Amino acid sequence: MSALRAEARTALAIARKDAVAELRGRHATVSTLFFSAVVLLLFGFALGPDSARLAAAAPGLLWLAVVFAGLLAVNRLHLLETDDGALEQLALYPVSRRAIYAGKALGGLAVMLVLGLVVLGAVGILFAVDVASAWLPLLATVVLGAVGIAAVGTFYAGVTVRLRAREVMLPLLMLPVLAPLLLAAVKATAAALAGDPFGELGAWLQLLVAFDVIMIVAGAATYGYLLED
Amino acid sequence: MKTRILGFVALAAVAAMTAIALFVVPADLNQGDAQRIMYPHVASAWLAYLSFGVTAVSGILWLWKRDLRWDALAVSGAEIGVMFTAFAIWGGMMWGRPVWGVYWQWEDPRLTTTALLLALYVGYLLFRRLTDDPERRATRAAIVGIVAAVDIPIVHFSVEWWRGLHQTATIASPDRVLNPAAPMIFVGTLLGMLGAFTLAWGYLMIRRYQLARAELAREEAVRIGRLEAVRRGVVRSEATR
Amino acid sequence: MTDAGFVVAAYAVIMGGLGLYTLTLWRRLVSARRELDRDDEVR
Repeated sequence: MSALRAEARTALAIARKDAVAELRGRHATVSTLFFSAVVLLLFGFALGPDSARLAAAAPGLLWLAVVFAGLLAVNRLHLLETDDGALEQLALYPVSRRAIYAGKALGGLAVMLVLGLVVLGAVGILFAVDVASAWLPLLATVVLGAVGIAAVGTFYAGVTVRLRAREVMLPLLMLPVLAPLLLAAVKATAAALAGDPFGELGAWLQLLVAFDVIMIVAGAATYGYLLED
Repeated sequence: MKTRILGFVALAAVAAMTAIALFVVPADLNQGDAQRIMYPHVASAWLAYLSFGVTAVSGILWLWKRDLRWDALAVSGAEIGVMFTAFAIWGGMMWGRPVWGVYWQWEDPRLTTTALLLALYVGYLLFRRLTDDPERRATRAAIVGIVAAVDIPIVHFSVEWWRGLHQTATIASPDRVLNPAAPMIFVGTLLGMLGAFTLAWGYLMIRRYQLARAELAREEAVRIGRLEAVRRGVVRSEATR
Repeated sequence: MTDAGFVVAAYAVIMGGLGLYTLTLWRRLVSARRELDRDDEVR
């Protein structure tokens, strides 16, 4: 049991290291937030100006913005590691690979949570949807979605970190895998906003949970093979 | 050579089944001649899944055994799988236009899942090309392949629910013919086409595997040549990435 | 396009694709083997 606690401590240490670096340089969060705002604006221009249509499309637009911004955020988080060979140094420490993965994913999760909440609020304002009324299921959806994107994103960012054509490869690999998450999160969001008329909210949230668990396990199990590179 | 015989047998089988599917089997009562497309379409889809299963399992076996022959098998499965996936999607679209009236139907879970399958494994193949070192490439490909394979059941379930909860009338799907009440000749033709395609698949897998082994041997020869040049002082540093 | 057109399009692409892939695979294989033989000669 204490081995597990040691792993957890390692993971938190790595996450804290990333958070400190992030707060100092503000690399990922600020530019990602701005990017998501611009994306939402462009959605408005592309699908508007009919506000009814935008309101109906809002759940989809929300999660598209989060996913696209998430691509950037995850990419930049790992960029921190390559700049001074930190990833290689990290691999030299006698720590469990799962802990390293968990630590980096926690860092990604923090960014994704901030991103998700901000975008949720922005969508409420821009597309005139009442997010406050269904705040609890919406919050749950955002959290579950953020976990999934962080888990998948951390994994693929690690996989592509030293490849040429990384900018294209990361989205190309990540987006198909995220399709079920996108689908479920949008459906859950739409159900929550509508007051869950068909009682499907639970099912979609369960799917999100299943996705998150499976991806975390798969990512943690295989991350070690990456670092032996 | 036995492989060559397999190739000819496969060719004959595919040709025969094509003739049967086009000229012998009667048209479906509801779907008309378009239903004939179902035979190669379903066969392609099954072989696509089989191929990707081979890729995923081979990836695991590489991580376990560290024998590059498993990676050769993995890339063969992926490349041939992508081909059959493209066939399945094309067949689905060609069937869909006359039957549904549209080339694409978001409510058909099979079509959308197959499209995602294509995206996953094209990504896998492109990803492979970015690493030159055979062992690193094999490891990276294996883990990408494993996560892709793990994603597929999730995709399948989510897309099924997506359609199901939409609560519209059930739309026609190509393999509705496979219900227990279907006439034997339809089922028989489908199985025959599947068998013929599987023979072709087996032949192509063998050849693609041979190609992968040959390319690995070539890479190894080049690497040894470079090491030899280093030893003789012709080049300064050893580049093994 | 009539129904028959779609059937032909489907079969043509699938069977033709199989044939094309087999052909290019064969050529790649021959070429790769030839390169290996050439390597052996050089050494």
